[in-house]
Amino acid sequence: MASLRKASIRQAGIQQTSIHNTAAVTLVLATCLASAAFAESKKEYRFAVGPNAIVSVDTQYGAISVKSGSADQVIVTATLKSDDVEVDQQQSGSRIEIASHLLQGANEQTGRVDYVVLIPPDATLNLHSSIGPLSVEQLHGDLTLEGTDAVVNISNVENCHVHVRTMRGPITLASVRNGHVEIATISGDIHLKSVTGPLVLASSGRGKIFYDGDFGAGGDYKFTTHTGDIEALAPADVSAEFRVHSVLGRVHTDFPLLPHHSRYSMKAGSSFVGTAGKAESAVVLRSFSGRIRLKQR
Amino acid sequence: MTCSEVERVLPELLDGAPDDAFPPDFDAHVKSCPACSDLVSDLKLIASQARQLATTEEPAPRVWLRIAAELRAEGLTSDPAARELESAHRPMLVPVPSSPRWRWRALWLAPVAAAMLAAGAYVISYKRAPQVAQQAPTPQETSPSPVIPAVTPPSVPATAPQQMAKKSAKPTGVNGAVPAVEAAVEPEPSAEDQQFLSVVSTLGASTRATYQNQLNAVNADIREAQAYVDRNPGDADARQHLMDAYQQKALLYQIALDRIQ
Repeated sequence: MASLRKASIRQAGIQQTSIHNTAAVTLVLATCLASAAFAESKKEYRFAVGPNAIVSVDTQYGAISVKSGSADQVIVTATLKSDDVEVDQQQSGSRIEIASHLLQGANEQTGRVDYVVLIPPDATLNLHSSIGPLSVEQLHGDLTLEGTDAVVNISNVENCHVHVRTMRGPITLASVRNGHVEIATISGDIHLKSVTGPLVLASSGRGKIFYDGDFGAGGDYKFTTHTGDIEALAPADVSAEFRVHSVLGRVHTDFPLLPHHSRYSMKAGSSFVGTAGKAESAVVLRSFSGRIRLKQR
Repeated sequence: MTCSEVERVLPELLDGAPDDAFPPDFDAHVKSCPACSDLVSDLKLIASQARQLATTEEPAPRVWLRIAAELRAEGLTSDPAARELESAHRPMLVPVPSSPRWRWRALWLAPVAAAMLAAGAYVISYKRAPQVAQQAPTPQETSPSPVIPAVTPPSVPATAPQQMAKKSAKPTGVNGAVPAVEAAVEPEPSAEDQQFLSVVSTLGASTRATYQNQLNAVNADIREAQAYVDRNPGDADARQHLMDAYQQKALLYQIALDRIQ
């Protein structure tokens, strides 16, 4: 009776061990399959280009970072988060097009591709990513960046057109010289630091606009919001004519501006027009219901 | 030439009339008047973009009819404007038989966005008050007014139907507060907005919710600006904000279209 009982216990132990082994093998297999499915891979593409290259990168999900590289080559490093996404690339002369291609079942995680791109400094650049972030620096070719929620950062660019468009993504431009800048966002904030040029336009429906710079280059600066606040910080020796108006909000300045004639009706507390220095630049700050502050640095 | 005379010939810009079709002093006035200059440049942009639509696919005629009907219902256009929208600015389009069905559903956004801008620009220019109204300062303009009056005199132009006043968002106070007596009521989305949301819902429920929030915000801005302009028809800056709000809505449509494509 006792030996029968021992045999029964031994058999149960063997069965339990077998179940454990099966579970372990299954787990390992599942892990392998999962890691295969979500395997991150890195690919590099090199393109020889001539002058005035045009580079476009379009990804639904993922970051794009672009920097200045050699004058005759475009290098794209793509990090794919899974096999659910591919990278399509095409070259026609000096025009390079890179695009993420989502396969069936791809989502925000598995369809993500992060790009690091080196381009000639004078190349024209077009970027699109829904979630971003988008980052560009040290270039002087024309730039067009578009994103839905993408955070956009542009720095150290000069002598170029900069067009940025987002739905909610905040936009930051820093050290942009002699730029023709046009920024539009529906509800993202806009930060401009040391941004100058013949034309600087920034509009946000519900976001805020911050400017910290000297309004230089004898340019036109027009910042517009609907409900967002506008805050501009400039040095005491700024040379600009200011026209500031908020339809329903309040305006404030601590600059000793010289009054200037305007055909628009001025309303104390919600608008003012005046000049500082030689009034070389024209600055228009407009909001429908946001508050506007022009502050001296 | 005065601003009013410029405004009368502006619709021809949308028709793509050549520059020499305008009165000889048109250019001189536009160059000297920032407001008209801005308006003309905006309209030229709209007209050029509308013409570029010729290479894309045409939405069904019912879409144009529904747009026109909705604009009329909201008081955004009068009949002549609607007729223009239905005929003159309707792009000549060539359907592509092999296009996927979802693209057919999405591409109507582009002409709708352009039509929205065109309608906004037309309404703003069509309903702009005479110069004298702008030059005569109102009590609000001559002294600081911390709060917009809760009940304002009915200064809505004759062309603006009462329905617009009913559907317009209520004004906010200086600090954005909504006067208690004019609590805002979120109106039902228009047919086009519903179709827009239907299209973006293909991107997922959360994306749809995001776009719906943005759309509601932009529509609220339009109603808010429109309500203010209705009460202050001489306020050129408020008109520009109304135009800006329409441009924001067109931008939203365009961003959605880009993402769907």
